[in-house]
Amino acid sequence: MVDFTITGKERTTLFAFMALGVVCLIATFLWGDPSDIEGHHTRFWANILHNSVFFTGIAFTALFVTCAFTTAYAGWFTILKRVWEAFYLFIGVGLILMAIFGVATFLGMHDLYHWNMEGITDPDSPVYDELLAGKKGFLNKNVFLIGTVVVLAVWYFFATKLRSISIAEDKDGSKGDFSFHYNIRWWAALFLPIAAFTSAAMIWQWVMSIDSHWYSTMFAWYATASWFVSCLALTILLLIYMKSRGYMEAITGEHLHDLGKYLFAFSIFWTYLWFSQYMLIWYANVGEETIYFRTRVDQFPVLFYVNLVINFLVPFFVLMRNSTKRKYGTLIFVCVIVLFGHWWDFFQMIRPGVLHTAHEVHAMHEGGHGAHATKDVSGHGHDDHAGHGHDDHAAHGHDDHASHGDGEHGHGHSSFVSGFTLPGFLDLGTMLGFLAFFLYFVMGRMASTSLEPANDPFLEESMHHHT
Amino acid sequence: MASANKEVLFGLYDDEEILLTAVQRAKDDHLDIMDVYSPFPIHGLDPIMGLKESRLHQAGFIYGSMGTLTAFLFMSWVFTRDWPVIFGGKPYWSVPAFIPITFELTVLFCAIGMVVTFYTICGLGPGVEAKTLDDRITDDKFCIAFDTVGQSSSEIDKLKSFFSSTGASEVKTKVL
Repeated sequence: MVDFTITGKERTTLFAFMALGVVCLIATFLWGDPSDIEGHHTRFWANILHNSVFFTGIAFTALFVTCAFTTAYAGWFTILKRVWEAFYLFIGVGLILMAIFGVATFLGMHDLYHWNMEGITDPDSPVYDELLAGKKGFLNKNVFLIGTVVVLAVWYFFATKLRSISIAEDKDGSKGDFSFHYNIRWWAALFLPIAAFTSAAMIWQWVMSIDSHWYSTMFAWYATASWFVSCLALTILLLIYMKSRGYMEAITGEHLHDLGKYLFAFSIFWTYLWFSQYMLIWYANVGEETIYFRTRVDQFPVLFYVNLVINFLVPFFVLMRNSTKRKYGTLIFVCVIVLFGHWWDFFQMIRPGVLHTAHEVHAMHEGGHGAHATKDVSGHGHDDHAGHGHDDHAAHGHDDHASHGDGEHGHGHSSFVSGFTLPGFLDLGTMLGFLAFFLYFVMGRMASTSLEPANDPFLEESMHHHT
Repeated sequence: MASANKEVLFGLYDDEEILLTAVQRAKDDHLDIMDVYSPFPIHGLDPIMGLKESRLHQAGFIYGSMGTLTAFLFMSWVFTRDWPVIFGGKPYWSVPAFIPITFELTVLFCAIGMVVTFYTICGLGPGVEAKTLDDRITDDKFCIAFDTVGQSSSEIDKLKSFFSSTGASEVKTKVL
């Protein structure tokens, strides 16, 4: 029985960061939006979505690798199993966070998801969009809400199921009793195909549909690889921290070496997927596909190129040597960079699309006003839109809007927009808040039971792991 | 490459665990092991023997870099200077299109270079007859070998008693 406890100092630090996150979120809500799309709270919602998706994804990949390793009879990770168990229980929080977006979308919010705009699939509407009408079977508020809630509930069910068997094994099992382990493996194997299909669908819904006209078959893999690398980086950092506090003594350079190899390999895997997606679209040069990268290369160049440097070049060259995967210093350095790097990667996936949508929605409402006056009979009343918080339109001069109109065709928006072009302080603060919350949750889960799965048949093998 | 005419005294062990303790004993007794042979890699043997990390992977990195440069520079030269052709409206110097081939040549140069280097270091190659102390060390026996050239008979007796006390199943001599 190895008990983990959270010290008062840790609690204070984590709560301080959580408070910072809350303050940043409030500030983002009040003052975060760029002046031309004020009043939509776009950056606020984008911030919450970004961090929710990122940390829910880390929890999800922790569950996925636990299941994959268990199914593959892997023994080496058993000693750190309780850490990943704590990670994946965060799916419960993710369920609540993402359900907020499900409900908001169901109620008509379309600042993030342009496909949810009222009348966009209606041929008689002035905002009719043929492409989005073609996708309405998947991109609609019912599928978004029900899909999100049901899928996350299923993930959470598997998470709690695996965790409860694992704890029961501690309590009621004994050395040589494999019944609990067989039970875990049955559930783990069942989860793998479910995880593969549902995670792809969730990524399409949550992230890819932000650039609502665009689609890519590589995207689900690419985003999942991003989650996986972040999960590994956070695991390594947490393990090193716990070792510094005297826990996890059985974790040696051998385990860290293996985790480092995973980090190295999956950083390359991520790059491979990134490049495959980029090159096919670049080569085929189909307008509706290339616009995704055109926008990023032209208007978000720092976001676009730094992404490759910190997520590929740094882990590739630093972790290439054997010894750097065993030294705390280099591991911590790479893990911090890569963890931030994949947060940056999700920033890069989400923000440009959100900004574009914000401008488009803004312009459409503007253009739509005249049309609504005559089209009120068709049911798209002005009140409808006022309900979404756009009642400050009058505050913007007409010239202002005209320039946004140009922006739609790819000439505008090249100026710096904090929180969209690059992460601003508010976004970084929010991220730290979420990270502190995630760690506090994980530490709480680790403290609730023994850190050592004492009756796991693979524990002995794991303690004498040797690469 | 092994130099000619070595007189080797070697002991065969049946199990790698016994071998590991024997190697540790030899180190503790300051016996100068020539080499240890095993049909498969044994975990923990390298640090006990005090072997240095192989530099083969550093050679691999250099070969790989050479592949990267060869592919990238060659394609850049061909498509911008030697024979510029427009493919699908792309610029002459289309970096993304070069990446897959650059990657392939990196792997190819690295792999071939490392194989050749490894074979050269080990004195292997087509037509070379490998010298083994005993054929069973490629199958199910584990072997510790000592070079006995210039050793006195008392020193050789010490080695023999080492073998018998550490559980070697057979002790033999052979001239390599």
